[in-house]
Amino acid sequence: MAQPSPEGGRAAPAGPGKKITARLKRTLPVRGPQAPTLSELMRWYCLNTNTHGCRRIVVSRGRLRRLLWIVLTLSAVGLILWQCAELLMNYYSASVSVTVQFQKLPFPAVTICNINPYKYSAMKEYLSELDKETKKALETFYGFSEGKSKVRRSVDDWNSTGSDFFQHIPLLKVEDFSRTATDLHTGQKRKIEGSVFHKDSSIVNSGDSNNIIGFQLCDANNSSDCALYTFSSGVNAIQEWYKLHYMNIMAQIPLETKEKLSYSADDLLLTCFFDGLSCDKRHFTRFHHPLHGNCYTFNSGENGTILSTSTGGSEYGLQVVLYIDEAEYNPFLVTSSGAKIIVHDQNEYPFIEDIGTEIEPAAATSIGMHFTRSRKLSKPYSDCTETGADIPVENLYNKSYSLQICLHSCFQKAMVDSCGCAQYAQPLPAGAEYCNYKKNPNWMYCYYRLHEKFVKEQLGCQQICKDACSFKEWALTTSIAQWPSIVSEDWMLRVLSWDKGQKLNKKLNKTDLANLMVFYKDLNERFISENPANTLVILLSNFGGQLGLWMSCSVVCVIEIVEVFFIDSLSIVLRRQWQKAKKWWRNRQQGGPGKAPQAGDPERQGHDNPVCIDEDLPTFTTALRLPLPQNSPLPRTPPPNYSTLHLETAFTEQLPDTLELDRH
Amino acid sequence: MNLKKYLVRALHRLQKGPGYTYKELLVWYCDNTNTHGPKRIIKEGPKKKLMWFFLTLLFASLVFWQWGILINTYLSYNVTSSLSIGFKTMKFPAVTVCNANPFKYSEVKPLLKELDRLIEAALERILQPGNSSEDESPPLDLELWNQIPLVLIDEHDKDNPVILDIFETNQTAVGNDTNVNNDIAGDNETMGNKTMNDFGAKPTVWSQTTAWNQTAAPPAPGNTTSEEKKYKLAVKLCSHQGSDNCTYRNFSSAAQAVTEWYILQSTSILSKVPLHERIRMGYQAEDMILACLYGAEPCNYKNFTQIYHPDHGNCYIFNWGMDEEALNSSNPGAEFGLKLILDISQQDYIPYLSSAAGARLMLHQQKSFPFLKDQGIYAMAGTETSIGVLVDELERMGYPYSDCTMNGSDVPVKNLYSQYNTSYSIQACLRSCFQNHMVEICGCGHYMFPLPEGVTYCNNEDNPGWAYCYSSLRSSIKQRQICIDSCKETCNDTQYKMTISMADWPSEASEDWIFHILSYERDMSTNVTLDRNGVIKLNIYFQEYNYRTISESAATTIVWLLSSLGGQFGFWMGGSVLCLIEFGEIIIDSVWITIINIIGWCKGLKQRRARARYPDAPPTVSELVEAHTNLGFQHEAPGAVPRAGELPPEPGTPPPNYDSLRVRPPDTLGPDSNRDTE
Repeated sequence: MAQPSPEGGRAAPAGPGKKITARLKRTLPVRGPQAPTLSELMRWYCLNTNTHGCRRIVVSRGRLRRLLWIVLTLSAVGLILWQCAELLMNYYSASVSVTVQFQKLPFPAVTICNINPYKYSAMKEYLSELDKETKKALETFYGFSEGKSKVRRSVDDWNSTGSDFFQHIPLLKVEDFSRTATDLHTGQKRKIEGSVFHKDSSIVNSGDSNNIIGFQLCDANNSSDCALYTFSSGVNAIQEWYKLHYMNIMAQIPLETKEKLSYSADDLLLTCFFDGLSCDKRHFTRFHHPLHGNCYTFNSGENGTILSTSTGGSEYGLQVVLYIDEAEYNPFLVTSSGAKIIVHDQNEYPFIEDIGTEIEPAAATSIGMHFTRSRKLSKPYSDCTETGADIPVENLYNKSYSLQICLHSCFQKAMVDSCGCAQYAQPLPAGAEYCNYKKNPNWMYCYYRLHEKFVKEQLGCQQICKDACSFKEWALTTSIAQWPSIVSEDWMLRVLSWDKGQKLNKKLNKTDLANLMVFYKDLNERFISENPANTLVILLSNFGGQLGLWMSCSVVCVIEIVEVFFIDSLSIVLRRQWQKAKKWWRNRQQGGPGKAPQAGDPERQGHDNPVCIDEDLPTFTTALRLPLPQNSPLPRTPPPNYSTLHLETAFTEQLPDTLELDRH
Repeated sequence: MNLKKYLVRALHRLQKGPGYTYKELLVWYCDNTNTHGPKRIIKEGPKKKLMWFFLTLLFASLVFWQWGILINTYLSYNVTSSLSIGFKTMKFPAVTVCNANPFKYSEVKPLLKELDRLIEAALERILQPGNSSEDESPPLDLELWNQIPLVLIDEHDKDNPVILDIFETNQTAVGNDTNVNNDIAGDNETMGNKTMNDFGAKPTVWSQTTAWNQTAAPPAPGNTTSEEKKYKLAVKLCSHQGSDNCTYRNFSSAAQAVTEWYILQSTSILSKVPLHERIRMGYQAEDMILACLYGAEPCNYKNFTQIYHPDHGNCYIFNWGMDEEALNSSNPGAEFGLKLILDISQQDYIPYLSSAAGARLMLHQQKSFPFLKDQGIYAMAGTETSIGVLVDELERMGYPYSDCTMNGSDVPVKNLYSQYNTSYSIQACLRSCFQNHMVEICGCGHYMFPLPEGVTYCNNEDNPGWAYCYSSLRSSIKQRQICIDSCKETCNDTQYKMTISMADWPSEASEDWIFHILSYERDMSTNVTLDRNGVIKLNIYFQEYNYRTISESAATTIVWLLSSLGGQFGFWMGGSVLCLIEFGEIIIDSVWITIINIIGWCKGLKQRRARARYPDAPPTVSELVEAHTNLGFQHEAPGAVPRAGELPPEPGTPPPNYDSLRVRPPDTLGPDSNRDTE
């Protein structure tokens, strides 16, 4: 097949180079273009291509018709390109499917907390000073006192035993906006420096500035950098201030002690009934929440089994009677009474303070659940994360990833980085400890500043954290009935008191009790999932449909186009250039050095593939395997084929190239 | 004969394919097919030919692979969902209101009197064991007690709990067949077996009933000082009275034990009462529904359909759509919804039966049975409860897209709720399934569910072991699983999503006149018969967006499948169905060629054999002439494919093939193929 290459006129390379060229010629699969000139090539292409339309251009007679076909073909190409681009752009779209499955459903974990975190009586030794201080503030600012003598005495006590960190952050009464404030303890008026922050934005420039009460936080290193937090209502101010100090105190108490200070399972749970059978405290797992004390999780899955219900309805869910014990409530920390519950997955962290449902005492709260599972497609369909592993925030909670966990962890990390200690309400990162005044006198100010930044999305947490791709949701329908009813109150309280195992003469109060029912309304699980709307298969068949519809084209045609329009055309152009260059060179040699070299030619030479050029023409003829007419030994000639005629003319026209070489 | 000739000719014509050898056929196919690849194979030079050959093969296999995927996708019957949200005029949901308490205590008191005295005495003994007041009242009906007694379990010794009877009777529970059932974990399917699965840390405890002397009263439970509770109440259930096959349903809380016991006992008593009597004992519509307003139109208790619900007595359904057209609501907001004022008369509650007080209500579809225990919500007395409704519909396609049922006719469970003329629902199916099992195993129907034909409700007299049987059936996981497996959900699932808010009602300032008017309207007297503990106000209305409909449609239809198949074939090879037909034609042709070859080979064989037999005999002219004609198709009369055996053992050379012209360059193929079309 590889015919001996005719000796070229140009300076032949040395021996080994020639050998390589020869080998290349032999092994190169592509044998050059089908026609010597571009127009011939196009003609050849149009006649032989598999796509429709193109052939029409060549075949049709008349200029108008030909023009029409050109326009049609071009517009078909344009349509194909447009539609395919459209298909490509819509490739990453998702379709949503909802499936409902009726089946035995796993019961979710139900975490129950008393609203009051710790027993007030047990907390006395830690909080007595703070309470005294609060009571004093109430008396000085509002003239409130409960049992005059008691307060008076406590004020006296305070002078002797008072520690000094209340003085760091005292409650202040802001006289007006001239920025003088009355200190709670000293009674002195002092100038307030620094910016004023309003926790309640609505009070800005409210007329009655005398009522404004707040507290001031200063940077310990730079006492002039202070921030004053004021509140429109003293209730908010006192509570906020109390909480600040309370967290401070609680941060110093170790976890074991705190767990003891809080409610035990026996304290909280009076009765328990699940799926028609009795259950008790062993089915609950303790979970210590920094703000809500001991919480108890039913069906936490800790011992490896997750309970499930095979029947819907209130009888088959969880029914518990909770003992709220209002007498042990901290009067300043919590002002409402009852319990909080949250229904969550076993792997989820219960963010009770954020999304808990409150349970009223002396009532039966019935919570019907409806289970929905959702699943989003992750990248590139949407920006969500499967496991949270690709989020640069360390998960401080020992639970599976959620957006909430990420945000809290992110804030805590920022807190440790900038304040040097961790915030009390969130878990500790490795190596950090909770903030308290003894070690970090500055933390309060730092915390408030940071929190403000966090809320204003300046910390970047909201940008880093993504939502989880799959989540389970229990839609709750909460309704309340009176419980116990008037007629059943008597025996119910007696029996529950007996259950509690208390002294018989002490009867429980119905406001200390709350009845809770959590059940599945039905066992239909809704599963909402996103599916890729397109797969590669569908994309390709859509491509094929478009190509086929407009031009009856296929991948083969695409390959043809590549072959003809890129490889062949390029080689033709290159050859042309090469010949031109040679001609020019010859002319210059003949005409002397007077003529300047034309632009582009030296460069072209580098691009030129001599292998392709030299060999093409003979290959072309042999490839077609057309017997030359004069050599044909047959008595009768085959009927003239139109295409053959074309090719033959092409062949004769092709000769100048070869001739040129030969002539040389 | 004519026909045979015609057949032969037709066959001959068929046989005359585009070529007489495989190679010819292939070349012809490649040159003339409409698929894109093969043409290249023969048109290109030898190296390109090879390349094109592999490309064509590759594309063909790609096409088949992708077709496989597409057909698989089609057969998986995926659906796509479309969601629409908005407001439109919709049927107002049916609203069922019930009292949480099924019967007026004043009416059922004669029936439950004995039971109440028993439980009071029992509680007296349990709670205050010291001063057990000697009965001056008439003696207790211990017969009733002994049918399903409550027992006290003394767990001072954990491994050896002692079972104490509350009333001294001569009944001693002896035997090893008793077991304490304390667990909520699964595997206590048969209650009579010996294992007690204690779910948690506690080791398996077995209550060996100690024979205890009938001392006076049980020891005082209040004396226990330690944290651990030492006494537990349990309900003793026996398969029949006096038998040893007993089980103790243990409760962690006495309150629950008492309630459960009371429910079992009262169920047995009430099941003997005929239905009209039970309806009479329940709350009447005119007593319960004090005021009603739908949109701007007044309505009253007569607009409600009464239905007897075993859990809640008389229930009243507004807008059920059974007799009249369902009402439409075309405006959002409380002004255009249903406003109700109810009285639940809490003073008339049965003390031990229902401890929660309030109205039970439920929104459901027209013509469906209200399953209040599952879907119902409470409304508290003395409050105004506002319920904003969003209709959440899910319309699904049936088989084979999802496993759901359109009307329940294909579910193998007899729907007992069809006697209410209500539509199928999964709850109805599950309950019917349970009741059917109950009838099958226990021989009587449970009071809470409708009865199949010819069966009566269970009661202590006729079916002494029913409570035992019911308890074991109820906690049987297997039974539940059977029901879950046999019931199917409905394809159109409608839920009413409620946004519930509450406020105190009536306000203190308006309390007096409201109670006065409502009482007056009820019984035309000036006595105030209502109070805060009884009245309930309800507002039920559509929210601003009142529907959210998720409807399914098939993701892959046959049209989709065909266009995708065509797209794939077109994309890789530019082919169509016609190309497939072409290919099929080629296969038929090649079969023909094979047959001809076989015939030829056989003929050759025979001729060779014949020649071997007569090695010297030269062929005569006539023989030679005959050899040129195609014997197989002209002389051989029967059959298209003359079998080798039937051929005459003609000697001679194989006939020269006409189309030896094919040796010439490929342009002879043109005329050759043209000849086919003649």
